[in-house]
Amino acid sequence: MLLTKPSFYLAIAGIVAMVMLVRKNAYQPPAPPPLVEPSRSPFKVSVAATGLIESARENVKIAAPRPGLIQKVYVLPGAKVRKGDPLLDMDKREAAAKVETMRAQLESMRAGLAMEQVQSADMKDQLDRVAKLEKDNVASIDEFQRKQFAFKTASARIEKTGADIKSAESTLRQSETELGVLSVTAPRDGTVLQVNIREGEYANNSSTEGLMLLGETEKLQVRAEVDEQNAPLVQPSQPAAAFLKGSTENKIDLRFIRIEPFVVPKRSLTGDSLERVDTRVLQIIFEFDRPTFPVYVGQQVDIFIRSDRSVRDTVPGSTQ
Amino acid sequence: MYHIALRMLLGDKAKYIMLVSGLTFAALLMSQQCSVFFGIMSWTTSHMRNMRASIWVVDPKVEQINEVKPLRDTDINRVRTVPGVAYAAPLYTGLLQARLADGSFKQIQMVGLDAGTMVGRPSRIIEGHLEDLRLPNTVLVDTDSIKKLSTGRRKPLGVGDVFEINDREARIIGICIADKSFTGAPYVFATYDQALRYAPPTRKMLSFVIAEPVAGMTARQVADQIHQETGLRAFTEDEFFWSTIWWYIRNTGIPISFGTTIILGLVVGIAVSGQTFYSFVLENTRHLAALKAMGASTWLLSRMLLLQAFTVGFIGYGIGIGLASLCGFMFLRKGQPPFIMPYQLPLATFGLIVLICTFAALIGIRRVAKLEAAIVFRA
Repeated sequence: MLLTKPSFYLAIAGIVAMVMLVRKNAYQPPAPPPLVEPSRSPFKVSVAATGLIESARENVKIAAPRPGLIQKVYVLPGAKVRKGDPLLDMDKREAAAKVETMRAQLESMRAGLAMEQVQSADMKDQLDRVAKLEKDNVASIDEFQRKQFAFKTASARIEKTGADIKSAESTLRQSETELGVLSVTAPRDGTVLQVNIREGEYANNSSTEGLMLLGETEKLQVRAEVDEQNAPLVQPSQPAAAFLKGSTENKIDLRFIRIEPFVVPKRSLTGDSLERVDTRVLQIIFEFDRPTFPVYVGQQVDIFIRSDRSVRDTVPGSTQ
Repeated sequence: MYHIALRMLLGDKAKYIMLVSGLTFAALLMSQQCSVFFGIMSWTTSHMRNMRASIWVVDPKVEQINEVKPLRDTDINRVRTVPGVAYAAPLYTGLLQARLADGSFKQIQMVGLDAGTMVGRPSRIIEGHLEDLRLPNTVLVDTDSIKKLSTGRRKPLGVGDVFEINDREARIIGICIADKSFTGAPYVFATYDQALRYAPPTRKMLSFVIAEPVAGMTARQVADQIHQETGLRAFTEDEFFWSTIWWYIRNTGIPISFGTTIILGLVVGIAVSGQTFYSFVLENTRHLAALKAMGASTWLLSRMLLLQAFTVGFIGYGIGIGLASLCGFMFLRKGQPPFIMPYQLPLATFGLIVLICTFAALIGIRRVAKLEAAIVFRA
């Protein structure tokens, strides 16, 4: 009876449509997994931080000894240098000319000394002879005395010239030192990380940047920054692990060196001039050996520092 | 006997259509309005479907996902420090302005994802590669953006095309499907750092920290841990969803306006079908009395009336829900207005229709119970 009515089939169709719609609505795509496996703490309990890779023993900013023109730059960024290797030369012409002048003066003084020595020998000879004649009462006392004074004068002059030469020698050494200062050498072994000056540029010794950045890249260190609110959780001498930003397959094991005793304002901010800095960070220094995969000074890392603090509540199965 | 009942019902075409249409109307009104209401409510939580995460960490005072009180950069490490957190990633969300080819502008919903891991990435990418977001000045847009940002262009935006966000170049490297947001601003994805470059600088920029629990712990447990250790508020996905929905229910007029319509549907349904059914019973009083005179018990007559009521109920419900579904399919194709029909909704509607039918049948039964068989011979 009912089966002959179109309204019945309409109702059935309506219910079928409803079921279809409900199923369509209920479909929710599954949550996509992260594109790259995120860094996870390798320790059961840890303190997380972000950090920057630095060369071990802080980087050296090479400065100009005095303002001047740069004449020669010996190294390129990335060059490995040993202690004492030349890095750059400042304009030396003036200092070199001064050394030349001092040398010539010294030469002429030495010649003068030789002449005076000859004169003194002459005076001595005359004096000896007059002394003999005076014994025989051939020469007068007056003549003998005169010869004697003449000889003494000659001797004194030799001494003075000798002293002058010594003084000129030390002036020459000073000029030579000044010349030497204009060639800058590496203060220690390391790698040139940055070269900020080109030949022909004027170096100002007041610039904060430094002409070159010298650092050690064989042994690197990490400066970990922990939010001041987490600072009490950090325990000294704990190992840590670091992951490079964007690649979490490679773990870098870190060894504790020290905690910087001064808490500093966090550096990487928006840079707005009206910015109020309200975040301070505790810095902890870790060292590590250069891993097999490439790591560069200045790279950002995620860091997990092991912690022994007791975890509140039970944390079942947090095996990581 | 039941056969007679159906014949009685279907024989009177006008009454039958009247009865069915009343119930159809009630079912349609209730289910369609509820679906649109759920759809609009779901727009408020579109963030959570476009950026999936188990745990959302926010400022302690944040109640819903569309209000952003940014956290400090270092808070992400405080969350990572909490035992039970497998990993945590930053997420930026913000409304920015995009400039279009014809000089007009549109609001866009900017999303910044962690550049390395892309945690919270959109799941349905239909063109391009997400990895290309790591290139400078690149964005991934949703299909809605293509529609809205293409005005004034000769041909719609595509991969490789460029538009402007906050006076900065944005090159499209991919297109994805994303749920619409409550504000109507289309979603534009970029890496976290890139998004910060587009956004006007403020002191704090980190909108959310999204985290996953370690294996063996529930999101709820880890969220508690995060709250205890950092003082920040941590929601699980589910909690944040309901917290947002309740916020909108408490703070906006949307539920009241829809609720009124739904209640009207119910009332009209009850009134129309109750009345029609009663007049149907009245009209058939003679037949029913004849049956009674032939020895049918009141109980049998009641069952007949119930059968009649539920038959119209079923037909009316089926057609009504079918029309609502048709609406739904049309809306879904157009993308507007939103339409979501969870399985509970047809069930609840069915329950209400049954209620209406029972009510209508009861009025009829009351009449039949009082019926005297002698009435047949009177007229």
